Amino acid sequence: MKPSPMQQPFRTAVLILVWGWLLFLVLAPNLLVVGASVMSRDPARFLSLPLNLDAYRQLLDPLYLEVFLHSLYMAVMTTLACLLVGYPFAWALSRVGKQRQVLLVFLLIVPFWTNSLVRTYALKLILATNGLLNNALLALGWIDEPMKLLYTEGAVIIGLVYLLLPFMILPLYSVFDDLREELLMASHDLGAGRWATFAHVIVPLTLPGVLAGVMLVLLPAMGLFFVPDILGGSRNLLVGNVIKNQFLDARNWPFGAAASILLTLAMAFLLFAHKLSKRRLGEEGGA
Amino acid sequence: MKKLALAGALALGLSACGSEEPQVLNLYNWSEYMPQEVLTRFEEETGIQVVYTTYDSNEAMYAKLKLLDDSAAYDLAVPSTYYVSKMRQEGLLMPIDRSKIEGFDNLDPELINLDIDPDNQYSIPYLWGTTGLAVDTADVQGEPVTAWADLWDERFQGRVMLTNDMREVFHVGLRVLGYSGNSTDPQQIEAAYEKLRELMPSVRTFNSDAPRVPYLEGETDVGMIWNGEAVMAQETMPSLEYVYPKEGIIAWLDSFVIPKNAKNPDAAHKFISFVLRPEISALISEEIGYATPNLAARALLPEEVASNRASYPAPEDMKNAEFQTDIGDEALQVYAKYWEMLKSGQ
Amino acid sequence: MTRWLSRAYLASVYLLLYLPIVVLVVFSFNDSRTGYAWGGLSLRWYQSLFNNHAMVQAMWNSLWLALSAATVSTLIGALTALALHRYRFRGKKVLNGMLFVVMMSPEIVLAISLLALFLLVGIQLGYVSLLLAHVTFCLPFVVITVMARLSGFDERLPEAARDLGASDFTMTRTVLIPVIMPALMAGWLLGFTLSLDDVVVSTFVSGPSYEILPLRIYSMVRVGLKPEVNAVGTLLLVFSLVMLMLSQWILTRSKR
Repeated sequence: MKPSPMQQPFRTAVLILVWGWLLFLVLAPNLLVVGASVMSRDPARFLSLPLNLDAYRQLLDPLYLEVFLHSLYMAVMTTLACLLVGYPFAWALSRVGKQRQVLLVFLLIVPFWTNSLVRTYALKLILATNGLLNNALLALGWIDEPMKLLYTEGAVIIGLVYLLLPFMILPLYSVFDDLREELLMASHDLGAGRWATFAHVIVPLTLPGVLAGVMLVLLPAMGLFFVPDILGGSRNLLVGNVIKNQFLDARNWPFGAAASILLTLAMAFLLFAHKLSKRRLGEEGGA
Repeated sequence: MKKLALAGALALGLSACGSEEPQVLNLYNWSEYMPQEVLTRFEEETGIQVVYTTYDSNEAMYAKLKLLDDSAAYDLAVPSTYYVSKMRQEGLLMPIDRSKIEGFDNLDPELINLDIDPDNQYSIPYLWGTTGLAVDTADVQGEPVTAWADLWDERFQGRVMLTNDMREVFHVGLRVLGYSGNSTDPQQIEAAYEKLRELMPSVRTFNSDAPRVPYLEGETDVGMIWNGEAVMAQETMPSLEYVYPKEGIIAWLDSFVIPKNAKNPDAAHKFISFVLRPEISALISEEIGYATPNLAARALLPEEVASNRASYPAPEDMKNAEFQTDIGDEALQVYAKYWEMLKSGQ
Repeated sequence: MTRWLSRAYLASVYLLLYLPIVVLVVFSFNDSRTGYAWGGLSLRWYQSLFNNHAMVQAMWNSLWLALSAATVSTLIGALTALALHRYRFRGKKVLNGMLFVVMMSPEIVLAISLLALFLLVGIQLGYVSLLLAHVTFCLPFVVITVMARLSGFDERLPEAARDLGASDFTMTRTVLIPVIMPALMAGWLLGFTLSLDDVVVSTFVSGPSYEILPLRIYSMVRVGLKPEVNAVGTLLLVFSLVMLMLSQWILTRSKR
């Protein structure tokens, strides 16, 4: 395409704007965090020289390792629950009439229009000892005394699942939506049973969606610090709580930055897995 | 592009307009630590609009002040005892111009000119209080709870609440072991951590935004509470008792300070003077249940408030009481590490 | 049978998703002070909300921020998508990759990195810092939405326009924009939603000069039962729905 005289300035302006934005607000800040993580903590200012790896050493402290592992455990449980609920949901959703699908996808987004903090608070109303769930069950006579649900690990996981489920469903829905009916019929015609079709056709084809969903759920599930604050009674901390405390309470920026880099590395690992699964799929599709 | 530039200019312009309001006082205070009526009356009288923002720990307040240092975000803050000395020594505060303060003479001589701020150059006492035991007598049967150590009792499994305040929680652990609540000895702090860890299975929640609420909600029956919160809770829940533990109560004094870069120190001085008025101080103490250091206000208090031992302890209640002091940054880091471990452990 | 089962499954998940929202809305009209039990119909929480000057201000601030962040990110995002779609330039892959990384980054990582930047550069924490941050995390979602639309777009249309003598700018305005309009709407809506819902990033990059809801609400919810919060949630929901219906109405009318 030969650039017309008008095209050049327009193109240049757009590219400068986009690159400028990303370099200034994405690349530079991330480099700053990397820089902060190798500096020393300074009680008066935030950071000081000399450069060292103390923050990373602190990450490996068995005590903090325990925090991270527990946070990872809760995030994994959350992700599994989202997958378990979301996978059949996305499948069922992709089988509904087209017109209705649009409405149903839209309905997934509507709850976001109240702030997520407000929604977490509504969950508290339901889960509290004097809350709606306990009251309802007591009234039905299913339980004799209220269950202690609030301020537990379970409450944190419920909160995370509630907030993050749409992020699992949407990528899954998009792969199921692309899944062509003919493929399934072909598999059936080739003599594969339902289970074999599921294991050898459906699962591999939806794997990129699964991984995208896992990424969109697992990582935030370690960062949404307000969920343990409200539903976990400030216990059952997430990596996000540790990072927030380092920046907004304890003022240990290098350590907070290092913990955040840990999350970034986890993301890089997941991105890599995602890419790999897509490439494998591409090869199989091409063969 | 033109449209984009226009949108940008519009966005910036609007935000600029927003900040050009008449007179604003940015007050940074503990949550639920000032009755709305006081703010409303101040606004009506002076025309200065109070922007009231809250925090739930000294650490959070300090970190935010440092973070927003240059942008001069706050005109007035209310740190506890040991943070006043810390912030003063670090040069974060603006000296208070006593000539602009009315009613300083009303303050209890025992609570001014303390070590944390000799001659009150940088701080004016707002309220003082204690952190003690809360016991919901409707739900706690058997032996009465009289000491911090009673929290470790097996019958309180899953029913205990602690404040979300590192220093206070460790204070309890240290006192139970017989150490000072202001210990800087890493071994003592670790021992306190080990002791508190045993308590963790009993702990349901940490709360420093409103420590009374988990009791009111029926989530917890026994644990730590601030005296003012206990007094407020008793209005709707008479069965909640405030107990002075045998090992000694935690005492603190919260003072007004003006951050060094405050935009509107005049309004800050006006507000301090307003609060120091006997009738306003009395109103505050009555509404939120903490003790006022203002002797003239004490005289105005209704009998049932002035004689409430939760708000105004008798001399024997203050036996073994300890005021929190500045323990230095190094010890603070040790506390911080164990604190996070404590809260994240199972 | 399976069809019925899958419908029932869909319905039950929606039920669970909407249960807290229903609770929120219903309880905002609850007269009871204690909050858990039904105490009759009342508007007292709306009344007490509107008497709370700071809260109302924060609500407007939140809405204004969501509107402006969605608009700015749609503008920049659409231009980015066009550039990625039409031009060949160096570092295109890097640009794509960066957008993808922003989309996948946990919010907390973005939040602290932006905080560090704003402090270093000296941008006051307030409206500007919030806008920059919100546009940044909305941007990739807009780009993806618009790209998806462009990839299904017949390449011959702009060619034809150009052959007829239209400049690049004119072609963009008269041919491209109408085509990608639905994607722009969708992207804008996504940006609005993400901005309004955000807590994590806002906690770090806002200051007292421009308070938005999450910070106002944060200590309120931690304090315990505050029925005013239900009222705020309900108002936000209603406002967003009304706005959406309005935009749909305008869109269908302009089509005619």
